[in-house]
Amino acid sequence: MNKLSGIINNIQQSGAIILVDVDVDGHGFSAMLIESVTQPEWLQTGNTIDLVFKETEVSLAKNLSGMISMRNRMKCTVQYIERGELLSKVDLKFKDYPITSAITTRSVDSLNIKIGDEVEALVKANEVSLMKK
Amino acid sequence: MENDVIDIDIEKMMLTANGPMNLAVRTTIPSGELIALFGESGSGKTTLLRILAGLVSPDKGSIKFRNTVWFDSGKQINIAPQQRNVSLMFQDFALFPNMTVEQNIQFAQPERDNTSVNELLDNFGLTEFRKRKPNGLSGGQKQRVALARALARKPQLLLLDEPLSALDAEMRHALQDEIAKAHSLSGVTTLMVSHDLNEVFRLASQVICIENGVITRNGKPEAVFSDNSISGKVQITGQIARIEKQDTIYVVTVTSGNNQIIKVIAFENDLENLKIGDRVMVFSKAFNPIISRLK
Repeated sequence: MNKLSGIINNIQQSGAIILVDVDVDGHGFSAMLIESVTQPEWLQTGNTIDLVFKETEVSLAKNLSGMISMRNRMKCTVQYIERGELLSKVDLKFKDYPITSAITTRSVDSLNIKIGDEVEALVKANEVSLMKK
Repeated sequence: MENDVIDIDIEKMMLTANGPMNLAVRTTIPSGELIALFGESGSGKTTLLRILAGLVSPDKGSIKFRNTVWFDSGKQINIAPQQRNVSLMFQDFALFPNMTVEQNIQFAQPERDNTSVNELLDNFGLTEFRKRKPNGLSGGQKQRVALARALARKPQLLLLDEPLSALDAEMRHALQDEIAKAHSLSGVTTLMVSHDLNEVFRLASQVICIENGVITRNGKPEAVFSDNSISGKVQITGQIARIEKQDTIYVVTVTSGNNQIIKVIAFENDLENLKIGDRVMVFSKAFNPIISRLK
């Protein structure tokens, strides 16, 4: 899994749905959660937590323009590509953090992703989990 | 607390298959609730029930039921089982084979009360079998008679030791409903040993987990059994059965309760400290799973 350490800077709740904003080194992330039976003590503004998301939930874009609904966008550099027959693993660097994206080998080819490329990694807010530090 | 009915603070050295173990339990049981005792076999759950029933004496400590001291090692008090007004139902209960269903229930009554026999027969769907002897009943029906009999005593405390463990899943489900109904009708404080998570969630308002003779967790089932350190709401615990590398990823097979087999995609860094046989938690966000009716 991908893990980024951040600080909760806002929590917005409507019914059972919670939208949490997290700051990772000055970069904003959002995580959409469902309320727990007992609200965990660590889910509070100002707390340091881990943002967690699965490699298969990380989409990649190159020269992205226009508007997109994905809340979590990371400008990354491609470090390494492990090509599989159908699925490839792309290792990225976002600020000082390693991030991995697993996308189809077809997409690696159609985006012509190479080591050293600048790409944007995208994750929907409802794919991000929070974990106690 | 005012609402608490039993104060338990006992110790008992037990001999188990893994050597001696000190059962050391200190807790209070709230009045009128159905509480589950959850844990592995040999953790001391059954012994605790037998101690409460008065069948086993603790080495030291005290048990107080409302304002009555049932046991106090310091004051040498040990109230006899029959004076505690407790009903205990074991997993291998026995009905009187020479008595009818009705007589089995009547026999347990402190004084004859036909109205309440009829109520019990009715509540447990046994009215049409009242004149039958136990050997003419199915496993589920016998179980119902045993429960009705346990309640016929009008106990102030009902102790159930894995009452449904011998039944198949469907029958267990049906009887769980009846236990729930019987509990809400009688309102008797009930302690039930179970290691069926589903049963605990359906029946118990509180669960006490016992491991190696001590209480490790105690609270509402939702709070006790969900890992609060992760926001993911779909949490399944299981054991790794297989790890296979496929393409650039790993497919991990995890077996979970009720013989469920789950396949999870994992990456090298997920598997750094994991091997076959390890107990793991598989979690996902409440947003991902899709629900559909079973055919």
